[in-house]
Amino acid sequence: MHEISLVRNIFRTLEDEFPHDIQRVRGIYLKAGLLSNVQPILMQNAFQAVLEDQPKYNKTTLHVEVLPILIQCDLCGQTSEVAQYRFVCSQCGRPSRNVIQGEELLISKVEFE
Amino acid sequence: MQKPKSNQASVGSVQCENTTLNLLKVNDFVAKAIRDRLPNILVINVCSSPGSGKTTLMQETGKRLRDRLNMSVLVGDPETERDAIRMRDVGINALQIVTGGMCHIEAQMIYQALDHIDLTGTDVLFIENVGNLVCPAAFDLGEDYRVTVLACTEGDDKPKKYPRMFLTSELLIVSKSDLLPYVPFSVEAVTKDARDVNPDIEVLSISSLKGDGLDAWCDWLTERVYAKREKAAEKVG
Repeated sequence: MHEISLVRNIFRTLEDEFPHDIQRVRGIYLKAGLLSNVQPILMQNAFQAVLEDQPKYNKTTLHVEVLPILIQCDLCGQTSEVAQYRFVCSQCGRPSRNVIQGEELLISKVEFE
Repeated sequence: MQKPKSNQASVGSVQCENTTLNLLKVNDFVAKAIRDRLPNILVINVCSSPGSGKTTLMQETGKRLRDRLNMSVLVGDPETERDAIRMRDVGINALQIVTGGMCHIEAQMIYQALDHIDLTGTDVLFIENVGNLVCPAAFDLGEDYRVTVLACTEGDDKPKKYPRMFLTSELLIVSKSDLLPYVPFSVEAVTKDARDVNPDIEVLSISSLKGDGLDAWCDWLTERVYAKREKAAEKVG
């Protein structure tokens, strides 16, 4: 995917949120749904590449957690994990587009020194 | 969105447990601005791999719709103006978005392009996305409908390989259908796999060169142009 621009987005987002504390950020925790097409290894490589460009962030580490896809059935309300991209309820078998987890790309936690 | 408190003391501590800073929030914000800006125009985001026949489909759609609807196209490519020229050749109002190597179009590019294209009288605006079944799936461009074009020469295994694209599309067009007798591609199998991912997806087979399926496609569009207009009129009224 476009990991470099995502990493730049991470820093831009943090600069917006923590204009005064950005230099003290040490840990960034990402939650990436399986459908966001984010590959943790490629994210780490892109992160290292951006750090080379921006040495002021080089004490920062990135943690990426990939989240499975969860759907909630419109009929029986059951929450099920999607396996092999078959979007059907594990309880009653009804197809569902009601994705409650798996599309997100979020910074879930930030650690400061 | 839950906002972290950036004015809190942050030394030596872990802050913003369970914060949610959405990395695509800028894109989604601009996508909403596009929707607000185009209340009367049907916006269709056309996605596919390179070479599936998007531009040819646009050309033939333009020729067929000419008497019924006015269409405009914003066409994205990493380089060159070629596709916009091809569309202007058949009388379609088209503007090229050169992404400069980027693998997808972001909402901001569309918003800026809207300042450079005259949409007076336009009923339907197509965004011909960069040929790529992966990245464009993650970017809302303010469209009303997302249409994925899949040429039968690409193989019928794509919905399971690129699930997010099919999950976020309302319509799947199987293009180059005139080649179906010559390639191992089953419309039935692709429909089944696409509906495993997205039970609501509609499927149309089209041959832009021979004309099969184009009437159904134009009807699909026309219906939605009127529906959007009615909705906009209700809001105003």
